[in-house]
Amino acid sequence: MPELAVEQVVKRLGGTEVLKGVSLALMRGEVVALLGHSGSGKTTLLRSVAGLETPDAGRITLGDRVVFDAGRGIEVPPEQRGLGFVFQSYALWPNRRVFDTVAYGLILRRAGEDEIRRRVGEVLERLGLAALGDRYPHQLSGGQQQRVALARALVYQPPVLLLDEPLSNLDAKLREEARSWLRQLIRQLNLSALYVTHDQVEAMAVADRVLLLRDGRIEQEGTPQDMYERPSSAVTADFMGTNNRLSGRLTAVQEGRGRLEGEGFGLWGTLFSPIGVGAPATGFIRLERTRLAEGPGENRLAMRLETSLYLGERWEYLLTRGDLRVRAWGRSALPPGDRWVEFPPEDLWLF
Amino acid sequence: MRAHPVRLAAVAAVAVVVLAPLGLVLYQSLLNAPFFAPGAGLGLAAYRFVLADPDFRGAFATSALIAFGMVGIAMPLGGVLAFLVVRTDLPGRRWMEPLLLVPIFLSPVVLAFGYVVAVGPVGFFSLWLKALLGAVPWNLYSTAGLIVIAGLTHVPHVYLYTASALKSLNPELEEAARTAGAGVWRVALGVSLPLVAPALVFSGVLVFFLGFELFGLPLVLGDPAGILVLTTYLYKLTNLLGTPSYHLMAVVAVSIIAVTLPLVYLQRHLLRTASRYVTVGGKGLAARPLPLGRYRWVALALVLAWLTVTVIVPLSGVALRSVVRTWGEGVRVAEVLTLDHFHELMEYPNLVRGIVNTLLIGTLGGALAVAAYAGLALTSHRWQARGAVLLDYLVMTPRALPGLIAGLAFLWIFLFFKPLTPLRSTLFSLWLAYTVVWVAYGLRLISAALYQVGPELEEAARVAGAGQMRVYRDVTLPLVRFGLLGSWLLIFMIFCREYSTGVYLLGPNTEVIGSLIVSLWGTGALDLIAALSVINVLLIGAGLAVALRLGVRLHA
Amino acid sequence: MTRRRWILALAATVALVPGLAPGQVPEGYPAAYKEIVAAARKEGKLVVYATTDSASAEPLVKDFKSLYPFLQVEYNDLNSTELYNRFISEAAAGAGTGDLLWSSAMDLQMKLDADGYAQVYESAEITHLPAWSVADKRAYGTTLEPLVIVYNKRLLPADAVPQSHADLARLLKEKAQLFKGKAAMYDAEKSGVGFMLITQDFLNWPQFWDLAAAFGKSGAKYYTSAGAMMEKVASGEHLLAYNIFGSYALLRQRKDPTIGILYPKDYTLGMSRIAFIPKAARHPNAAKLFLDYLLSRRGQNLMANQSLLHSVRGDVEGVATAATLTKELGDKLKPIPVSSKLLEYLEPAKRLEVLNKWKQTARSQ
Repeated sequence: MPELAVEQVVKRLGGTEVLKGVSLALMRGEVVALLGHSGSGKTTLLRSVAGLETPDAGRITLGDRVVFDAGRGIEVPPEQRGLGFVFQSYALWPNRRVFDTVAYGLILRRAGEDEIRRRVGEVLERLGLAALGDRYPHQLSGGQQQRVALARALVYQPPVLLLDEPLSNLDAKLREEARSWLRQLIRQLNLSALYVTHDQVEAMAVADRVLLLRDGRIEQEGTPQDMYERPSSAVTADFMGTNNRLSGRLTAVQEGRGRLEGEGFGLWGTLFSPIGVGAPATGFIRLERTRLAEGPGENRLAMRLETSLYLGERWEYLLTRGDLRVRAWGRSALPPGDRWVEFPPEDLWLF
Repeated sequence: MRAHPVRLAAVAAVAVVVLAPLGLVLYQSLLNAPFFAPGAGLGLAAYRFVLADPDFRGAFATSALIAFGMVGIAMPLGGVLAFLVVRTDLPGRRWMEPLLLVPIFLSPVVLAFGYVVAVGPVGFFSLWLKALLGAVPWNLYSTAGLIVIAGLTHVPHVYLYTASALKSLNPELEEAARTAGAGVWRVALGVSLPLVAPALVFSGVLVFFLGFELFGLPLVLGDPAGILVLTTYLYKLTNLLGTPSYHLMAVVAVSIIAVTLPLVYLQRHLLRTASRYVTVGGKGLAARPLPLGRYRWVALALVLAWLTVTVIVPLSGVALRSVVRTWGEGVRVAEVLTLDHFHELMEYPNLVRGIVNTLLIGTLGGALAVAAYAGLALTSHRWQARGAVLLDYLVMTPRALPGLIAGLAFLWIFLFFKPLTPLRSTLFSLWLAYTVVWVAYGLRLISAALYQVGPELEEAARVAGAGQMRVYRDVTLPLVRFGLLGSWLLIFMIFCREYSTGVYLLGPNTEVIGSLIVSLWGTGALDLIAALSVINVLLIGAGLAVALRLGVRLHA
Repeated sequence: MTRRRWILALAATVALVPGLAPGQVPEGYPAAYKEIVAAARKEGKLVVYATTDSASAEPLVKDFKSLYPFLQVEYNDLNSTELYNRFISEAAAGAGTGDLLWSSAMDLQMKLDADGYAQVYESAEITHLPAWSVADKRAYGTTLEPLVIVYNKRLLPADAVPQSHADLARLLKEKAQLFKGKAAMYDAEKSGVGFMLITQDFLNWPQFWDLAAAFGKSGAKYYTSAGAMMEKVASGEHLLAYNIFGSYALLRQRKDPTIGILYPKDYTLGMSRIAFIPKAARHPNAAKLFLDYLLSRRGQNLMANQSLLHSVRGDVEGVATAATLTKELGDKLKPIPVSSKLLEYLEPAKRLEVLNKWKQTARSQ
């Protein structure tokens, strides 16, 4: 039985449907990332699960308890769902010390004083906040605030943890550290978590499964590897990585491969969706698979290197051929000039 | 979130307390005799009479003119004043704020009378100027004079709401404009004030309402020149047919409400696109005041000029009157100075009780009103439904009832609604009437404070397991406590001043300073009125000083 | 002299007159009066609705309480419109209301009487009262207050001080420059008292409309409050004000010698504060005691000398008494009779007719 089941949830805000019938299941000990652009409905879905939004249709079940069913008029208020929620802004109460903030959920559950002290102590210890119990939020760093928010959600051991872009307010470097730390923590505590993010790298790093939401629908779901390597749509392909995009027309099909011909180029790629010959098609290729080659060859184009950008661990080249613009990565700085670029057919996905 | 039953109940409760007096007035307007008279029948005769009366039309036009004029003066001035005090390095802005609010808590009759003593035809400023220039360059008793004074003295209402909104404005928005090369004035007009447009528009509408309801100022300043406004026209109606004609008076009240309701609609319409409240970005970001540069002293001069005209002139008039035996043309002030009025006042019956009651209704009553407003504000908090719209209309309408009629309506309710009858001669009836009439004012103050609490702070508590009420108790209210204290302070001042609404509910044990002033007005003991007003101002001033010292902020 | 000293003086006077011992009746009252006192004792309370301000009424209430210490007196001081509104509303609701209504709005009081709100009570003092001051043993005039012209002694030249109504009309015309915008009187449209006074004026003096026209020509200002008028006369904004209650003028003059008071020599109207006991009274016996007290020599003496409300009885001596007025004015003192004649101009058509005439004369310049 899934820990959390969402079935055909619809939510309208104003005149627009923010969620157009979304379903998902979260198994025990599993972390599912809800990935999508802003406006894709991912936060609305998360808030609907928490009970902070009332969907217009559908059903939400926690374990064997139906907490929302539009058809039967069931709506369990958020405080009775027993979930943990970590807000993007952390939502720490400015007038409460760390200890009191974390203890609040236990106080509401009428835990004894000793138990509260013990359990809050444990959680603070575990999250590296043991020394900060007497501090107010404004006396904490961003990372510490983030952990306090997490501690508050964890202390009463909710069956499902809901995280709304929990790392987005952290500095880039801190965010990367927190990412792996969070993953490890969730694993160790064997938590079931629904994790909202707009950052596909974060989603893949943290989650067992990724749900890509677009315009209130699930575009694709699967393991991070599935999503990254076997996208079922152009949208997923585009979202999951950093791509070069080539537009053109399919001119020939041969053994699962197709020929994409655009303005001034023709390349072989792998067909990722059924496209008829003569129909318009788009080719996607990850930047890391786009290679500079020594000379002409199969699926190679002559392009002009305009500039090289230094990114620290690598160089990024900007190449053009007529209106076609392509980026590629390499290890060294190259002077502008004419180059050959290889688009391996198995890495050029046609949609 | 769903329409919680508590919310519906709250709207219902407000509807009852607001609509009961309004409904009674509407019903009365459709009769041809007092509603309690045995022979009263339905009909539109009262409407025909009033609408055909040229005096009514004239009074209506004058009232509208005054109300528009007031908005025209008070809105820009209040907005600029708020910007200067809240956002710039205006010299002395710290001590200025309490002074800015003085006109709010001065009884309008006393205020008007202060102007008469100071700048009336033989006022001491006027005589001084006359000696200098050979003539008095203004005429206090004119529509223009009335508009200017009413406009200037209503600036604090606009100031209050605008300042409060400005304080919660994210300073980065202004800084962005500054770095883009905008001068201070461009920032004020192009960024800050448009961003607080909801507060400005709301206060503008409120001032417009108050303009229609204006009584004390036109009574004292308009009457001598024969300027008739709707409220003084009402006065006339009480006498026109010998005995008070309630049906005619009710028609006038209904016509005022008819004007004001579309205004509430307009206000909602104007603000539909703008977000209703300014959201707080990065709480605790201390805004650096915008440097005014060489305009600093120009701005200070502007503020001081306003303060002089609106506070110092009338207050000095009242204060002077309280220590002289007589005044005016041919009187040397030094020869008529006396403290007798204060001595005499000490002998005045019920004075102590009046002061105690006033303080009681101001402090305790004010606190209870704030509690009621807070309860109401919480139930409609973050509520986007039709009920919330209804609430907007409901709370605004009592302010449209002229005090004279509101007073009667409340008397009738306490008389004819039997469960309330035993409470009629207690301070409770007075409190209820005040609380209902000022509900829009107080509600707005408190909702503004509430909206500064980020919704996720409340949601975090809910998800952690707290019910809605518990969230309010544990999270929302503690976070807005300063806003509540500030609201309390303002309500305290307003309740200390309010009188007309409760005129029929006052009894020998429930007199307040306002009623003592009116009773003295009847016999013409203006010297005692002046002394009493000085005491009233001192009392409120002291309360204000103590509160500010204790760290109560005027804004949330 | 301040009010404080007056009250001290009053205390001295009162100390000489002992309170009533239990079971006693005031001197000269029938023995049966004991029953009223006993019934009032049972009622224990008295609610008065009055237009006389509490400061002026305070000595009366105090003295009354010294006579009947078992009564708790609730004195409500209201303006005449408030008093009327409040009373008819309360009577209609069957709620508790005033036990005694005591108002200077003579016409409204008579209207309430005519509408059947007043109860019959034959005061024990009735034989000492002038005939014009009692209507059908229900409504009693308690005072005889002259309507005077108040002027500014400092600024009004001696040759411009009017001696009579006719004089006033003449001066307003002859010294138009002096009086331009400087004369004041009640706004008959907004003030019920003001209206009643002009009806009495033209009933007593057919040329009244000439005076009204003279007021209009001089650009006179019209008010709803005697207080505002006197204040503005004192300050010199106006030079004189017409039809001011003599009692208020005396009170003011005591404190501010700028105020001059003039009793018109051709005729001086005398108005009377009318008191009656409503049928709806919950403490009618207590009300009877208070009414009798107001009309008694003791009460009237206090009114005349402490409250400066001119007494109606002829047998009281002092500053503000009918006796002093009569001595000065003789038969030129014209009391407004307490009678249903006052209702004539409450009739809407007639009233509007007078108001229109007033507007045409006094309001046109």
